[in-house]
Amino acid sequence: MNQEQVKDFCMRYLIATDCHILEKDPAYVKVKLSPEADKDLTGRSYYWSFVERTGAEPETMSFIFVFDPESRKPPEPQGRGTTQGRAPLVAPAPNDEPLKKGDSILERYFGITPMIPQQGRMIEETISFGSRRLDQMFAAAHAKGSYLQLFEEAPPVQRGSGISHSYTTWLGVNFKVEFTCDMRREELHSLGICMSTGEIVANFQQLMCERVLSPRMPAHCQLRDVISLETAVQQLEAHLERVLAQADYAWALSARERMSEEVTRIHSYYGDLLTNLAAEQKEEMQAQYTRRQQEIEWQYQPRVEVHAMNCGWFHLLD
Amino acid sequence: MFNPTTDIIRPINELVNVHFNRDWCVELAARSSRNGPWDQWELARLGVEAMESRLVHSFDQLQCLPHLPHLTPMPHQIDTARRVLYEMRGRAILADEVGLGKTIEAGLILKEYIIRGLVRKVLILVPASLVLQWVRELNQKFGIQATAQKKEYMWTQVDIVIASMDTAKRDPHRSIVLSQEYDMLIIDEAHKLKNSKTSNYIFVNQIRKKYCLLLTATPVQNDLGELYNLITMLKPGQLGGQGQFQADYVVDKRVPKNEVLLQQELSKVMIRNRRSDGGIEFTRRHVRNIPLSLSAEEQALYQGVTDFVKGRYRDAGSDAGSMLSMVTLQREVCSSRDAVFLTLVNLFKKTPEDSPYRPQIWELVNLIKQITANTKAEKAMELILSLGPKEKVIVFTEYRATQEYLMKFFKDHGLAAVSYRGGMNRGKKDWMMDIFRNRAQIMIATEAGGEGINLQFCHNMINFDLPWNPMRVEQRIGRVHRLGQQSDVFIYNLCTLGTIEEHIVSLLHEKINMFELVIGDLDTILERMEEQSTLESRLQKIILESQNDDEIREHLHSIGTAFHDTRSRIQPPPVFSEVEREVHP
Repeated sequence: MNQEQVKDFCMRYLIATDCHILEKDPAYVKVKLSPEADKDLTGRSYYWSFVERTGAEPETMSFIFVFDPESRKPPEPQGRGTTQGRAPLVAPAPNDEPLKKGDSILERYFGITPMIPQQGRMIEETISFGSRRLDQMFAAAHAKGSYLQLFEEAPPVQRGSGISHSYTTWLGVNFKVEFTCDMRREELHSLGICMSTGEIVANFQQLMCERVLSPRMPAHCQLRDVISLETAVQQLEAHLERVLAQADYAWALSARERMSEEVTRIHSYYGDLLTNLAAEQKEEMQAQYTRRQQEIEWQYQPRVEVHAMNCGWFHLLD
Repeated sequence: MFNPTTDIIRPINELVNVHFNRDWCVELAARSSRNGPWDQWELARLGVEAMESRLVHSFDQLQCLPHLPHLTPMPHQIDTARRVLYEMRGRAILADEVGLGKTIEAGLILKEYIIRGLVRKVLILVPASLVLQWVRELNQKFGIQATAQKKEYMWTQVDIVIASMDTAKRDPHRSIVLSQEYDMLIIDEAHKLKNSKTSNYIFVNQIRKKYCLLLTATPVQNDLGELYNLITMLKPGQLGGQGQFQADYVVDKRVPKNEVLLQQELSKVMIRNRRSDGGIEFTRRHVRNIPLSLSAEEQALYQGVTDFVKGRYRDAGSDAGSMLSMVTLQREVCSSRDAVFLTLVNLFKKTPEDSPYRPQIWELVNLIKQITANTKAEKAMELILSLGPKEKVIVFTEYRATQEYLMKFFKDHGLAAVSYRGGMNRGKKDWMMDIFRNRAQIMIATEAGGEGINLQFCHNMINFDLPWNPMRVEQRIGRVHRLGQQSDVFIYNLCTLGTIEEHIVSLLHEKINMFELVIGDLDTILERMEEQSTLESRLQKIILESQNDDEIREHLHSIGTAFHDTRSRIQPPPVFSEVEREVHP
């Protein structure tokens, strides 16, 4: 993600979670979080459980998320030298001051200062790829966009005309495939399966992004599935398996070689040791040997793991 | 029958199985039957975009660098991370020389594994004084949410825990740690694990771990047996069994054989980067001696103390052994009257009441009372003022009494100073450092050891007095002149003329040239030189036994010569030359 994409992502997240945008600038955004976003981003679970139990009016936090720190820098005071001693024309709002680093009792105890949730304080942060705040937005988007039920919207002319539309239901799943040994590579497979014909389509996510989808179930909507969820899942997995079988597995071969090399080495090491040990020491050494064997397998064993990142029902107009 | 709750594991080919996780089917079925709740399409789209942006497309391309907006690692650090990831496969000894950034290397490796989803649960064991520093570095530089272990529940509930070895190996912590599996184990100052009989070694050996990094600046290169133990902890059998190792590689515990083969084996598990002479990553050091003359009263005290010490030495039948510490009195006079006063009072108390020394000591105390000003402190203040109010300065002294005197002296003159000493607990030390960083211009420290203080934000150092142990001088310099120091470093040695201090400054600065020495060479040289007795006690002996200044000068000159001889003789053991690589940024 470049900085432009980061900004786009961040803005869309804030809007999707109903945050109140106070000020928008190419270089930054000033925002008062919605309760939902506050729970995602500020780590104040204790505060929120307090609000929920007591019914107190929640006070969400406000941030300035900076996307372009260079142009966000406050402008140099003009006519330096002449204004010396005079108060600046615009006093900086005390709230805008970023938290002073390295100077709190918490930091002395924990090494870092967890964000101090102070009411009404405006916290300024640079958002970039890899920054903690963006990671939190990533995680929130993932956690809150996992299970979907969406209907394709009919073109406006046809809406309200009393005509009922028939829909075909698709099950869409974004599979994350992990090729793992002591290293890992990942692939994303976005698949959709038609619940009436069993047809499977790749790049399903992208196809869906091109359509107008709504969570509202239209009136007079008729839904009819032929195949069951079970069958659909099995067919998706079988399809994916065929695709995965085509991948290159040289990495797995070399991982197996590394593994057997290690196994051979510790076999000869512990083999020698164990023969020369007294019985009482043997037990601990044998345990160590077993532990080490398990560690090697844990480390090197090549495997492919498939998880669904998100999935949902897509009811598309015929 | 299809059961959506059971994950499916099937072989794809003869090498790997594919594992289909089916948790999602269960949840989807449940939400379908309840008709909800359903998530937002926009968030789902964002979620997929986020995942795509972080998808790891390749096995062997370093992923972590774009994730690290606050860090620009140096080439040797990136190179080290690559080798550990792709050649050593996550089990390695990082043995860079001090100051080349082993923590950065470990952080890069850890970050890479976290991004790839290969590491979640991490245990980092470091000396107690370094726990918070590690927490800070990993959080601030790497965005890795590491936490200092403070409460028992943290062992199990926090993913990345930093603790001291001493805590972790004690029950109840020990049994919790040993009951868990760690995706990664990192041990700083790992040379403490060189002995396989110690409780530390046995404990660490029992921890279940997938990847493991051992960090040490002292790669136990003097003793092959210790090196063997360290490597065996990482990869048992890498150097064969104990007996085989002895037979194959060891002539004497410090003398290896089959060096080429041993080199090859070592370079599979160990990386040692060395600082190249004059590498540009280090700023320059400027050393200046500030000569000053004692006031008449101070000179009188110095003379009095010197005569007293010589007298005691003569009375003791020129037996230097018990008298060496008496030289301290002379050194203290050069620092402050407060320092020598304290020692004299203690000496007075220890002296029998009928001893003829008692009146002599009392006389010296009377001389102290004549002194109204501290020439050196005034000189130091003059120097600090000339640097300007924005320049941070660290002042080192050997004596607690001097430290307290200076605190008061600077305060009386309106200069903000904080103190720092070994006896402070960890929290207080960190606090003092924070105040120095943010508010105070001056730090007055009696202790330079204890790896905990990093003062890269300060580049002026005043040696109010000098330790006679060159390693301690080295440690002082290392606090400010290290990686991350942006400016040239200025070192000022205050030097009282006509005293033993003048001799010592000249030995350390001019003869040994230690202020310009490359860190890391010194300990090796000293180890060779100090086989019989420490340099410090040799110096004391010279001061005590010499009849006059010329004699002292002659002795010190020969020490300087011996130092240079040793230095030129020292080559790193050939076995390490392959593993070590010079850093040329």
